[in-house]
Order: sequence, then C-alpha cells, then structure tokens
Amino acid sequence: MATLRDIKNRITSVHSTRQITRTMEMVSTAKIRKAQARIENARPYALAISEVLGNVVKNVSDVTHPLLEVREERSRIVLLAVTSDRGLAGAFNSNIIRMTERMMREFTDQGVEVELVTVGKKAAGYFRYRGIEPAMTLAGMSDKPTYEHARQLAVRVMDQYGDCSIDAVYLLFNRFKNLAEQKPESHQLLPIEHSVLTDAEADVEARGRNLEYFFEPTSESVLASLLPTYVEALIYRSLLESAASEHGARRTAMKSATDNATEMISTLTRSYNRARQAAITTEIAEIVGGAAALEDQA
Amino acid sequence: MARTLLCEIVTPERILYTSEVRMVVATTLGGEVGILPLHAPLVTQLAPGEVRLQFGDSASEWEFFSISGGYLQVHEDKVIVLADDAIAVSQIDMQRAKESVDRVKELLAELPPDSEDERQEFLRDLSWAETQLKTAEKRGA
Repeated sequence: MATLRDIKNRITSVHSTRQITRTMEMVSTAKIRKAQARIENARPYALAISEVLGNVVKNVSDVTHPLLEVREERSRIVLLAVTSDRGLAGAFNSNIIRMTERMMREFTDQGVEVELVTVGKKAAGYFRYRGIEPAMTLAGMSDKPTYEHARQLAVRVMDQYGDCSIDAVYLLFNRFKNLAEQKPESHQLLPIEHSVLTDAEADVEARGRNLEYFFEPTSESVLASLLPTYVEALIYRSLLESAASEHGARRTAMKSATDNATEMISTLTRSYNRARQAAITTEIAEIVGGAAALEDQA
Repeated sequence: MARTLLCEIVTPERILYTSEVRMVVATTLGGEVGILPLHAPLVTQLAPGEVRLQFGDSASEWEFFSISGGYLQVHEDKVIVLADDAIAVSQIDMQRAKESVDRVKELLAELPPDSEDERQEFLRDLSWAETQLKTAEKRGA
C-alpha cells in the first residue's frame, strides 16, 4: 500500500515530466515551421533544375550518361538511410531502420552485397551496435541540413557508381506529408530512372513551353553536368523533408506524452485523495472507539 | 518604358534575388554573354564568376553578384540563374573570404593523399572563396 508521501512524490515527478514534454512539444512546433519554410525555399531550384532537364532531354536525340546506365547484374548496392540525431520522436527512426533492415535482408538473399550510408546518429548507432559498420556517416546536422551535406553524400555515391564499385543506390527517408503525418519512403536514386527524364519532358510540354532551345556549349555537356546536380537536389530535398518530419514526429510523440502525463496526474491525485480520506476515517474510528471504551469504564 | 527581363537568381537553399532588369550579363564557360529582352531560348552552363544586372540607362545602375558556377536559362524574357552558391558583391566579406582562402590552402597542404572526397570539397571551397575575392576586387568593394 502506497503511503501518502509516496503518492505525492510521484505526482510531483509526473508534473515535472509533463513540463518537459510540453516544452519539447512547443519547441518542435516552432521548428516545424522553420523546416517547412526551408522546404519551400528549396522548391524553386528543384523545379528549375527539372525544367531545364526536361528541355535538354527533348533536344537530345540519344540520352546516355553513366548515371542513367542500368546494370543487369547487381553485385553491390548502397542504402542511404536518413534518420535523426536525437530520439524521443516516436517511430520516426525505427520506421527507417526497420525498412533499411528489410531491404538489406532482401538484397542479401539475392546474393547482393549491401553497403550502408547513414545520416543521423540514430541509424549509425543502431547498425554499429549490431556490428554493421556504415561505409559513410553524416551526423550532427539532421535538423539543419545544408546543400553542402547533400553534395557530400551525392559525390560519394556518384563516384562509386561511376567507377562501377556499386550498381544501385536507394534512398530511404521520412517524407513530410503534413504536420501530423510522416511517411517512410524508399526511392531508387541511382541509376536515375528514365521515367524521371520522360516526366520532366512531359511536364515541359504540358506547360506549352515547346520552344527550340540553344544549348551552350552543347546539349550533351549540359545534360552531363545537370544530372549530378539533379541527384544533389534530390538528396537535399530528402534531407529537408526528413528534418521537417523529425520535428513533426517529435511534436506528436510529445503531445501524447503530455496527454498521458495529465491523465496520470489525475489518477494519482484521485488515489492520493482516497488514501488521505481513508487515513482520516481510520483516525476518527480510532478516536470514537477509544472514547466509547472510556465511557464503558466510567 | 523599355521592355524588361525578369531575372531570378536561385540557389538550392533559396531565391536570392528577383527583379525586372534591362540586361543580364553572365560568365559562361565560353565567355561572357549579355541577355537582352527578346533573346532566343537558351540554356547554358555558367563558370564561376560574375553576374551583373543592368537596371537603367546610366552606367551606375548596375548590380553585381558573384556565383560559384551553375546554369542560366532564358525563356520568353525570363532569365533564371541557377547557382550552387551566390552572393551580392556588396555583401562579400573580403576579410572572411581571404581567411577562408588561406585556411583551405593550409588544409589542402596537410591532406593525406588518399582522401579524394575531401580534396574535391576543399578545392570547391577554395574556388568559391577566390571567385568572391576576384569579383569583389574588380568592383572595388
């Protein structure tokens, strides 16, 4: 039976926990806005890149590039998993980690070697603990990714793809759907799928921008330099989405933690009151009993 | 009112600048190009260097930007400059750019020979700092 003081201590401790989770919830709410603004700011560049890409594809008769080359035989692939540096964000990181593990198993079963590239301390920590050393990690920047970070990742995987030491790259990250929803997704990053190009081309045509462009120096060289930029922009975008998702997931997690704490406090307060009342009743009964005993003697 | 061009300077992180201008002059791989209204549709690669925009008739109505290379697209009186890094020349901090050139040079000298990724990165930082210095000096900042 918990004593009155025990219950009181628990109430105080749940109270301070609630204060922390509530603060974290508010901090995350503020950070989501900033992260969303960053996604918005990155959109014009990504749109312009894909528009230029569409124009180039339309004007190049034979689109070939090392990054487009599909290899039938896959012997080694890279999984690029984007997680966060900090926890307390619900299933945010475990979703990505689970997805990564599942893909690893699938590829390993097919006899394909899998190399990991991780973003965020969480994924790196998880896989290191299990004895899988990531080939490359970026950490300490998950809630403020810059284009430079995206470029480092892009350069690394494109170099490896270029010299044939890997045959495909998949990108796994949480897409930011809205304030309350994040969706873990995986995409093939390399080789760049031809549908990307045809979509970009169709998009250009749909907007009636059917013009003959001049390319300098040549359309082929523009394409050759544009594709790596496209990959960089894609990675940058996923880093931003993941950052916004992280804050969204944390906000949701902290909101339910705060709600749970509130509920717990009210339950505890109730048992505290009941215990106090029980003590008083016992005391009165004792006094009454004592008084009755005295009267009997008199 | 003379015909104008809409010019946007866009970096991956944000739209740096957007305005109606009279003329855009940019440094391509093959040399400088000047874009006036009614220019034919064009896509070109830009070298690290200067992009300047002319607003009025007098020579003083220019604005200067430094970019780290990228692309330029002209489409129906709209010019989009896509740059990895871009900064208005008036915003360039000479002191900082100089320090960063020195620091990156030191780092490059100390780099072990097998770290190709880092070398590429440092070289890019170096080129960007030097580009800023060069354009800033040219415009007497």
